[in-house]
Amino acid sequence: MKLFLTLLAFLLPSAALAQNQVSLTSEVFVERTVTDANGVGRVSLEAPGVVTPGDHLVFVLSYRNNGAAPASDFVVSNPIPDSVVFDGTDSPGAVYSVDGGRNWGALAALTIRAADGSSRPAALADVTGVRWRFAQAIAAGSGGQLRFRGIVK
Amino acid sequence: MRDLRLMPGCGFAKRKSRLRLRCMAASALAAGTLCAAQAAHAAGTPAGTIINNSATATYDLPSGGQDSVTSNIVSLTVDELLDVSVASTDGGDVATFPGAANQVLTFRVTNAGNGNESFVLSALDTVGGDDFNPSATSIVIDSNGSGVYDPGIDTVYVAGANNPLLAPDASVLIFVLSSIPAGAADGQRGRVDLLAVAATGSGAPGTTFAGQGQGGGDAVVGATGADAEDDGFYAVSAASVAFVKSADVVDPFGGATRVPGSIITYRLVASVSGSGSLANLRIADAIPAGSSFRAGTITLEGAPLSDAADADAGEYTGSGIAVRLGTVAAGAARTVTFQVAID
Repeated sequence: MKLFLTLLAFLLPSAALAQNQVSLTSEVFVERTVTDANGVGRVSLEAPGVVTPGDHLVFVLSYRNNGAAPASDFVVSNPIPDSVVFDGTDSPGAVYSVDGGRNWGALAALTIRAADGSSRPAALADVTGVRWRFAQAIAAGSGGQLRFRGIVK
Repeated sequence: MRDLRLMPGCGFAKRKSRLRLRCMAASALAAGTLCAAQAAHAAGTPAGTIINNSATATYDLPSGGQDSVTSNIVSLTVDELLDVSVASTDGGDVATFPGAANQVLTFRVTNAGNGNESFVLSALDTVGGDDFNPSATSIVIDSNGSGVYDPGIDTVYVAGANNPLLAPDASVLIFVLSSIPAGAADGQRGRVDLLAVAATGSGAPGTTFAGQGQGGGDAVVGATGADAEDDGFYAVSAASVAFVKSADVVDPFGGATRVPGSIITYRLVASVSGSGSLANLRIADAIPAGSSFRAGTITLEGAPLSDAADADAGEYTGSGIAVRLGTVAAGAARTVTFQVAID
């Protein structure tokens, strides 16, 4: 199992990267509160193999333009995994989808329509995907990181 | 519990939170397996689920046209969380009496974790906070799901042999049977706790049992410590009932003599004393020989009751009257009246 995952983790991106000038890497960390001998809690980020319901996750997307020319109209999208509740992002410029990627916008502009026809404002937990659209082109050789948070359902 | 292994490759199929109906083999059923079809949502993502994340970037090429790149897939396995809750369902003290045997306390044990888990049960009968110590004689599983203790039908629990196996969010009723000491006095309370502990292990939240989780991952103790208990109480109730019957006679001449045509109004008062209450209290009285029941004269607490055997609390049976008083608390009384005419 572990070997299989490791293999895929290597195979998939490298196959995709071969013809791309931009690289994109996804990482996930879990926030663990470690209590020291004095009873003081300290939050640490760990790269988990395993998680349990209620764990707080931090997803980190790293992008880099490895090409010789700027990459313009740069958009990064991340669907939220099924078993994760979206818990916000501190990377500016994010827009959200609450309908599986059909519509995107600021969270305040999105609504959830119930089966009975009524609607309510969308909340963080409704988010099914997050997207960043960069106004500036990514210059050759430069890159950055995007982060968002989630909680294991 | 380690009863489900992921097959290689199945992790990448999106495992939506599906119904987890895990009935074990027949041998396990005999050992008290309990299955309930319910979604695993409340307890969280089922143990063994793989969470995959990847992102996509799109951008315009200098040469025109658009390109996209997909990130690596980062995968997490959801471990088994061990959590349990126990709650008394009695809704208050259970009335009992000195020297009684097989007195029943009822508890609900719920698997609050996200994997199939067995729970070890024990009854603690020498805990504080009470006036006497009941003697817990057996623990019984509500194996037929009736919600009440069925002697000889429900399965007697034997620690380790038939630990109830519960799917995530599933629960089972557990009965604790106790004997009440003969010396327990009226109004005294006796406490018994039911303790349920995850069979995989328990301890401080975060304690990990490597490789023992469902799906082959670790089992991790959740916020409940994977053990839980609740208390139930017996209350000795020595309620008793006293009946007092009186009669008023009115003769046809305005007097109080007993002659043919005189009408006798009987008044029956049931008074409950002691503590607690009496359930299913019932008054029945025969019509005396030489007299006839006067139709439509039965009352309960001053309110008329019909003569027919119907939805109201009383009736004329043809030879007497019967009135059902239901549950009457100690200190309360109920008054029934009816009339006969002397033949």
